[in-house]
Amino acid sequence: MDRQRAQAARTLLFVTAAGPLHALNPLTKLMAFLWTVSAAIVLPPTLTLALVVAGVVLAYVAGVGGVVPAKLVATIVPLAAALALMHGFLIVRPDEVPLGPLHVSPAGFRYAYSVVARIAAMLTASLLFVTTTHPGDVLASLDAAGVSPAVGYLIASPLLLLEPFSKRTRAIRDAQRARGMNLTGTWKARVRALPALLVPLVTLALSDLDHRAMVLESRAFGGEKRRTVLDAPPDSRGQSRFRRIVGALAVVQLAVPLLWH
Amino acid sequence: MALIVDELVFRFPGAPAPVLNGCTFAIGGGERVAILAPNGAGKTTLARWMAGLLPDGGFLNAERGGVRIGGLPATSFTASQRAVAVQFVGQVPAQQMSGAAFTVYEELAFGPCNLALPRAEVRERVDRALAMCNLEHLAGRDPFSLSGGEQQRVSIASALAMRPSILVLDEPTSNLDPESRDALIAHLRALPDDMTLIVLEVALRPSLAFAERFLLLDGGAIVADGTADDVMRHPRCVALLGTTAIRAAAAQIRDAGKWPAALRLPLLVDDGRVAFREAADALG
Repeated sequence: MDRQRAQAARTLLFVTAAGPLHALNPLTKLMAFLWTVSAAIVLPPTLTLALVVAGVVLAYVAGVGGVVPAKLVATIVPLAAALALMHGFLIVRPDEVPLGPLHVSPAGFRYAYSVVARIAAMLTASLLFVTTTHPGDVLASLDAAGVSPAVGYLIASPLLLLEPFSKRTRAIRDAQRARGMNLTGTWKARVRALPALLVPLVTLALSDLDHRAMVLESRAFGGEKRRTVLDAPPDSRGQSRFRRIVGALAVVQLAVPLLWH
Repeated sequence: MALIVDELVFRFPGAPAPVLNGCTFAIGGGERVAILAPNGAGKTTLARWMAGLLPDGGFLNAERGGVRIGGLPATSFTASQRAVAVQFVGQVPAQQMSGAAFTVYEELAFGPCNLALPRAEVRERVDRALAMCNLEHLAGRDPFSLSGGEQQRVSIASALAMRPSILVLDEPTSNLDPESRDALIAHLRALPDDMTLIVLEVALRPSLAFAERFLLLDGGAIVADGTADDVMRHPRCVALLGTTAIRAAAAQIRDAGKWPAALRLPLLVDDGRVAFREAADALG
């Protein structure tokens, strides 16, 4: 199977490369991602920021350095600006000091910094996961691990159905424009046109659901407890052990501070 | 495997009249059958009943009668048993995709994998279905990026990969260009002899090449059952299927004594072209 060609038509973030992260089992990467999320919650902001730096370095090592930092910056910079504005200037705090016509709160900035650092660490980890892991491999590894096929389907289908959904949206938009609906004028005209776009989109999506359910049923989906896995991603005892340790660590590092307090 | 539709009466909730109204027929194992009816006559609903997808365990139930597959009520099958017994391919290609596959190969393997078959058998089935439907060159493509005709072939190949005893196709040629339609018809002709093929069509012409029995659906019931000629002679045939041109042309060719012995009616593009040219020459 050549997933590269299939991927070309999709809006997936997966990047084809031969890096060390690509070679890992998707479940190993998923567990590492969960550990990072857990660590980002409990670690102090400076160490969380270190996770971000480590993630970016890892992205270059993994051959996805062209995508991860760019996506990270594009997402985090506007968020950081908004949080800094809100917590540093707009929310009233006891430590605020006047700065010209404004009031500045150092504690607010510190809080914004800690939130941004946490989100950045989680985002970096998730970007590393999605750029180095094809969703088809996630499905296969879940099947191989004996996870219910329904869980895999829930993960994969939103990614898979994004493309036909976008096509449908474009077709409805074109159909409504052909009938004389103004979709390019003022924002008021666009808002007025929304129901004419959304109603058929939702109705057809519901109809699709019905058909999809029939297709799944006729192909015996869920008929057997386990599915055959054709191309299970490589796994090893070492990776399995690593997953258990990292998974346990993720739970413990979250639980200990909670119990301690 | 035989399929029996027995006195089936089915009405959609709130509908004033039933879609299927005492629909009754029996199809034997290995038969090639075309069920003909115009749009809105209940073909898709009947197909869903034959495929065991109705009743749905919710609001959609028969008022009377039902469907038996291999002598057993269709409702008594498990999902895997039903999938092996009967496969259904609907008429909107994009809606026939599982939504769980990133490539055409995976789409075809989806069903056999659900049956938990050995890997080698899954691969063998997929390779054979790809070859049968001329899809080898598309095996690595995203199913949703294909054209309607290609998607139609993918959905039929996916059904074939399940190796069903009964294959129900709802207007399989509706999205195909003439060349693809002829290729599909050739594939349908080449299906294993023991596979029962039931095709629901709005026109007589596409099914003439492979069907040996024709049923005419009108008012929710079967009103004609027999050969193509039997259906064409039915008083409602022209109104329902609009076959005036075909009948006239066929009559002309027959009268001219130019009807090719191996051809039941002009059907495939090339066959039809030759037959009509011969007829035109004969008629001067």
